[in-house]
Amino acid sequence: MTKISKEEVLKIAEISHISLREDEIKPMIKHLQDVLSYAERVQEIAADIEEPLNKNVNVFREDVIVQVQPETILAQAPEREDDYFVVPAILKTK
Amino acid sequence: MDRLEFATITELRAKLDSQEISVPELIEFFIKRCNEFDPKIDSTLEVFDLKSVLEQFRAQGTPLSGIPGLLKDNICQEGRITSCASKILQNYVATYDASACKRLKRAGALPIGRANLDEFAMGSSTETSAFKKTKNPWDVSRVPGGSSGGSAAAVAAGLVPWALGSDTGGSIRQPASFCGIVGLKPTYGLVPRYGLVAYGSSLDQIGVLTRSVYDAALVFSSIAGYDLRDASSRNVQKKDYTQHITGKLPENLRIGVIDNVLNAQGMDSEVSAAVEDAIKVLEKAGAKIKHVQLPTLEYSAAAYFVISRAEAASNLARFDGVRYGMRDKSAQSLHDMYLNSRHDGFGEEVKTRILVGNYVLSSGHAGQFYENAKRVQRLIRREFKNTFNDVDLLIMPTAPSPAFTFGAFDVDKLQMDLQDYFTCPMNLAGIPAISLPCGMTKNKLPIGFQLIGPHLSEGLIFQTSHVYEQNTPWHTMHPENF
Repeated sequence: MTKISKEEVLKIAEISHISLREDEIKPMIKHLQDVLSYAERVQEIAADIEEPLNKNVNVFREDVIVQVQPETILAQAPEREDDYFVVPAILKTK
Repeated sequence: MDRLEFATITELRAKLDSQEISVPELIEFFIKRCNEFDPKIDSTLEVFDLKSVLEQFRAQGTPLSGIPGLLKDNICQEGRITSCASKILQNYVATYDASACKRLKRAGALPIGRANLDEFAMGSSTETSAFKKTKNPWDVSRVPGGSSGGSAAAVAAGLVPWALGSDTGGSIRQPASFCGIVGLKPTYGLVPRYGLVAYGSSLDQIGVLTRSVYDAALVFSSIAGYDLRDASSRNVQKKDYTQHITGKLPENLRIGVIDNVLNAQGMDSEVSAAVEDAIKVLEKAGAKIKHVQLPTLEYSAAAYFVISRAEAASNLARFDGVRYGMRDKSAQSLHDMYLNSRHDGFGEEVKTRILVGNYVLSSGHAGQFYENAKRVQRLIRREFKNTFNDVDLLIMPTAPSPAFTFGAFDVDKLQMDLQDYFTCPMNLAGIPAISLPCGMTKNKLPIGFQLIGPHLSEGLIFQTSHVYEQNTPWHTMHPENF
């Protein structure tokens, strides 16, 4: 049975770039524990199996430029200035 | 054919070719039908206007020319919203056509709308859609299944003759089973995923939902085949899969019944009985029935949970509110903007899956969960491969029960996740499977079963499915009041 602490769920949420409200923490812990406790059974039989072979291969194709109007893409921006996407300030001003 | 709305694509084709009806008239008829009947079941997120649909009309003289359908709203249609039934993409307009969409349009088919789904295709009931809950046309107090619930409900209710869905762990087959229609999850890599919003990239596959096997083969033929834009695409050329539909079974066809599945705990007795009947129909038609065991299937759902959530966490990292999609505009820092946009933009199920995914990938847990899940996946693949030395196809139920009521699993969410129990093994193995209607419960709810084959056996699956269909009445039944 996988046990998850409040600190752990907050750490995973931070890694996931998702904020959690105080009232969302407990139900999230329960849901994670339920799924992970079920998923734990992969260990039961996995021990008998050799390592997965790394069969990944690179797939290449010609680097052909596909013309897309910049405006089509930029029109989707939540906030923009000219041809740039605008985000909140990254550096703090003094 | 009694009614135009439940006509097969072949029947519609004949009417168009004999000029009994024109393409604009046919499209108008189905758009009107959606507008009139969809309020009962909420299967669509948008039905396009006639003019904009007809502007897309190109090809003449092809089997699908002028035939309307729906695309699940995680498949990009250029110039249309692709929302994934999520607030975070509520206003996102696709800048290109998915390969499957483009191929259908080239073949003359006309998408007339966007079908509802579980948010980002994560769910088994279409209840996690941020916008609406689709109802099952056979009983509107019940779910249509999911995640391609909008696609399945619309086809079952005669709103369109075909729809595309996507299947990561059963999302085409389970709703097809709940709605009494045909749903095919093809071999992994056979239909390009380019333009399908990714959930579990190593498992995702676009497939078709129709009311007949022949129609499924027809639509599938237009979307299957190699595409250089999808790095996981298989090097298989386009072909006409309807050629496989001969009306009879191949000589000495061996079908394996998976004993440990049919006797699984929690199986609804009406579902078991209907699948037993389906086995008898195939046996009577000439198939040799063999009994097999696939013990690793009992570990499939666990491995699937881990792998799909891990890939989801990675794929959904791209939604950050910077270039498109929803943004929390009140945030003072970039970091808070990410956190808040994703908190407000994603629904509960999606957030949970992302957190599970990052947990099973995080240092300290990856060995226990992710790496072991990948080992189990290998074992499942091997078990299927060995089994297909002895049999040509496998048969098993699609879902443990018929359609359930809304909110049935609100408390015990794990039981909802376990809806994938009979369907996710095929995604883990990358092999094709079709769900076919095989009965009705006492309460008039459809039951489905799966025919499963080795990689690239779609031809044999269509051939066998068609014979089954011709020997049973289920595909001729339609929900009342539509």
